[in-house]
Parts: sequence; C-alpha cells; structure tokens
Amino acid sequence: MVTKRIWQYRDLLLVFAWREFVVRYRQSAIGIIWAIFQPLSMMVLFTFVFSWILDMKISDIPYPVFFYAGALPWTFFASSLNYAIPSLTNHYGLITKIYFPREILPLSYVTVALVDFLIASTCLLGLMILYRIHITWTALWFLPLFVILVIFTASVAVFLAGLNVYYRDVRAATGFLIQLWFFASPVMYSVDKVNIKLKLLLFLNPLTFIIENMRRCLLEGRDVVWWQFLAVSIIVVTWAVIVYRFFMHIERSFADVI
Amino acid sequence: MSSRGSLAVALRDAWKKYSLREIFHRSLREDIMRLIRGNGQPLEKDEFWALQGITLEVPKGECVGIYGPNGAGKSTILKLIASVTYPTKGSVEVFGRVAPLIEVGAGFHPDLTGRENIFVNGTIIGMSIKEIKEKLDDIIAFSELGRFIDTPVKKYSSGMYLKLGMAIAVHSGADVLLIDEILSVGDETFRNKCIDTIQGLLDQGKTIIMVSHDKSLLEQIAHRIVYIEDGQVKKEQANIEHIIGAYHAKQ
Repeated sequence: MVTKRIWQYRDLLLVFAWREFVVRYRQSAIGIIWAIFQPLSMMVLFTFVFSWILDMKISDIPYPVFFYAGALPWTFFASSLNYAIPSLTNHYGLITKIYFPREILPLSYVTVALVDFLIASTCLLGLMILYRIHITWTALWFLPLFVILVIFTASVAVFLAGLNVYYRDVRAATGFLIQLWFFASPVMYSVDKVNIKLKLLLFLNPLTFIIENMRRCLLEGRDVVWWQFLAVSIIVVTWAVIVYRFFMHIERSFADVI
Repeated sequence: MSSRGSLAVALRDAWKKYSLREIFHRSLREDIMRLIRGNGQPLEKDEFWALQGITLEVPKGECVGIYGPNGAGKSTILKLIASVTYPTKGSVEVFGRVAPLIEVGAGFHPDLTGRENIFVNGTIIGMSIKEIKEKLDDIIAFSELGRFIDTPVKKYSSGMYLKLGMAIAVHSGADVLLIDEILSVGDETFRNKCIDTIQGLLDQGKTIIMVSHDKSLLEQIAHRIVYIEDGQVKKEQANIEHIIGAYHAKQ
C-alpha cells in the first residue's frame, strides 16, 4: 500500500528531488562539493579535538577514517530531518490547492540527502585506501545497514514533518533535537569503550546500532550479529508502518489546519 | 460532445465546517464528545459552516461558472473537487483526473527557468515526465514566452507567470479543469486565446469549473452559472443577467 501510493507519484518525487538538488547547488560557488564538505569538516574538527585538545584514545583506527565513517550516515540523517521537517509548511500554497500524497514532500528531501550521501561516500572510499584499511567481506553488511538507515530516517522525517503542520514547535525544536540526537549517536565515540549498562541505554537509539555496525563492518572487518540486525530491522519497520498509518490519518486535514 | 450526459463532478448535499480558531487543535475531550455525538453535528464556539448543503452535478463537457460575493464558499467548492479537503457531511465524487489551475506561480520555483518549471508544475498537476517531454514544445509555443523560457521565473512578470501556468494546465490531459479567478492578469490577446482554448477543451469533452467575478468572461464561456451565497446555491441559470440581477437586488 505504501509503495503503491508512492509508485504512482514517483515522477513527482523525482522532480521534487531534482528541483531541490538543482536549486541547492546552482547558485553556489562550490556546488556539489557541499555534499562532501559537511562530513569532511566534522572529520577534521573531531580529529583535531581528539588528537591535540583532549588527547584521548577513541579507537585504534586512524581518526580521520574513523570519524568520517560515522559522520557520513549521521549527515544523511541530520540533513534529511533539517530539510524535511519544514517541507510541508513551506509548501502551503500547494497543500491548499492541489492533491498529491503529502509524504512526497518530506521524502523528496530525504532523496536529496541520499544523493549527497552517495557523493560523500566516494570520499570515504578514498580515505580507506589512503589509510590502507584492510577491506573484508564483512563490508557487504554495509548495504542492509544502509537500507535500515534509509527506512528509519524517512519515517522519522515524515512523522516530524506531519506533526509540524499541527505544532510549529517541532520546527523550533529541530536544531535542538538534532544536536541531542548527535550526542546519543556514536559519531565521535565508539560504543565499544562504553560499559554494558550505558551500552544498553545507547542502543535504544536505532542509529547507535546502525552507525556503530557500519563502521565495524567497513573498517574493522567485524561481522554484524545477525539476530541483533533482525531485531533492529523489526523495530524500525514496525515504527515505519505505525508512522505511515498515522500520517495517512492526519494528512486528510492538512489543508484545513496548515 | 459525444461524452456529454455522464457526470464529471457530483457534489451531493456537501457541508463543510471550518474553525476560526488560530490553533486548530482538538483536545482529547472534544474528540470523545465527537465520537458520542457523531461528527458534523452542532457547531462549537468558533466554528462556522463554509458550505451548507451544496448539491451540484456537472456533466462531462460542461463549463460551469461559479459566481458570488467574497467568502460565499466558491473556493471551498474547488478545494473539495480537487480532493484537497473533504466534506464534513455529504459526498463529493469526481470522475477522471482533476487539474487545478492554481493562482499565479504556485508551485513554480523562482530560481528555476520556465522550462524547468514546466516539469515541476506539470508533475504536480499529475503529468508524467514522459508526457511532459512529449508536449514540451507545444507548451512552450502556447506560453508565447519565446527565449524567456530559459530565464529563471523570478524575473517574469505576473502575466508571464500566468501564460506559463495556463500553457501547462491546458496540456495536462486532465478531464476536469478548475480555474480560480486568474485569467484577469493576462493581456487581451492572451485572454482571447485562453477562451478559444477552453472552448476547444470543452469540445473534446473536458469539463471546466471556474470561479470568477468577471461577468463578461463567464458570459462568454460558461454554459451555466451557479450563484453561491452563504455556502448555499441560491440560483442556477444559463443567463448571467438573471444571476447578476439577483445579486444586485440583494445589495
């Protein structure tokens, strides 16, 4: 049902995403390099902080690769939310005049973040070669982990964008929420070094599992525990289904409420 | 005119309730009360009926003009037909694809060129990318924009916006076109061209519903004019003079 609805409007999703991509990079000097710039600048900053200011041992992996591998999925998540949350209210003129499945709007911003992600991941590959990371078969886990990341990100984006139509507080809280979520996700640390009680707490955040395992399978040649993967997948998909039901329910009155 | 006779749009005793409240937020208590009482029953404080039992049947190939004072509920009718909002009571049925010709520039992105905006606006009103590519030359020709088609639309005048929007809408292949008071921006020549095109679309069996305060425009193209006031159909007539007479007698 979900996919059929979006499939019928796939051209609209594509055009919205293309529009956003063109508009975002057309009148900018460095264009699509922006896609790499964000995770790259996080990487440089963290490497600097943890090498010289704090002088802490975070991981055995060279810091630049370690931080970039975490910043990459994180940037996808954060940038999706940032753009998707105000997407419905920003298109007031369309919502009150024309029918189309409303989730197309937030999803188109997730699509743009996805393209950014693909561009920025070439840089990760470069770093892995540069730092002579031994790539093993476990790297294949990256793909299913990525699928879960996309489903999770899309459902959080659609949920918060819909809620923002009713309560503009969501928009106002976005920056704060993303900041908190950042510290709850293992971008500048690894859960490996954390004690078990705290670990369980951190794993309440699906991003913890996703980001941590993406890094392990790519850089450390470690396998993902399959039952853990299964459990997280079930939780994420269930959440996504609930969000979609909820969205379909509130979508009908968007034009009256917005 | 072969397809005339079967319905394109049917509103049956459609009621629409709106809230005046700034924040549209029903509390849980209200939701429970609504469950007990049933929806669409007595008005709460700050609520009003924008439509009060509108019944309107539009056969295929007909052009219906909707006329009436501001705030009568004309645009709400178009919103119901476009499935943007839903009736509180009653039913709305539409047979075929609807393309709302929305006001000047909605859905256009200022930083994109006219050509690029054809893709954005076209897909919004339900065309596929393939369809747009096929009709691109016709759309550009109709818009009369010439070399301005590759200029960002933020540099367009409102007349140019309208020409582009109209060009996309008439090529959309939709069965029902909704036109909400927009033709007034274009120049005389373009207006006449639009009227000709609308006649052509009607001959193809397309249905057009238009809201306008422009008497002469309605007289020229509408087969039937519906006079709306206070959310109700007050008069239906083929002749505008009768409608106008009724309107002015009240004032």
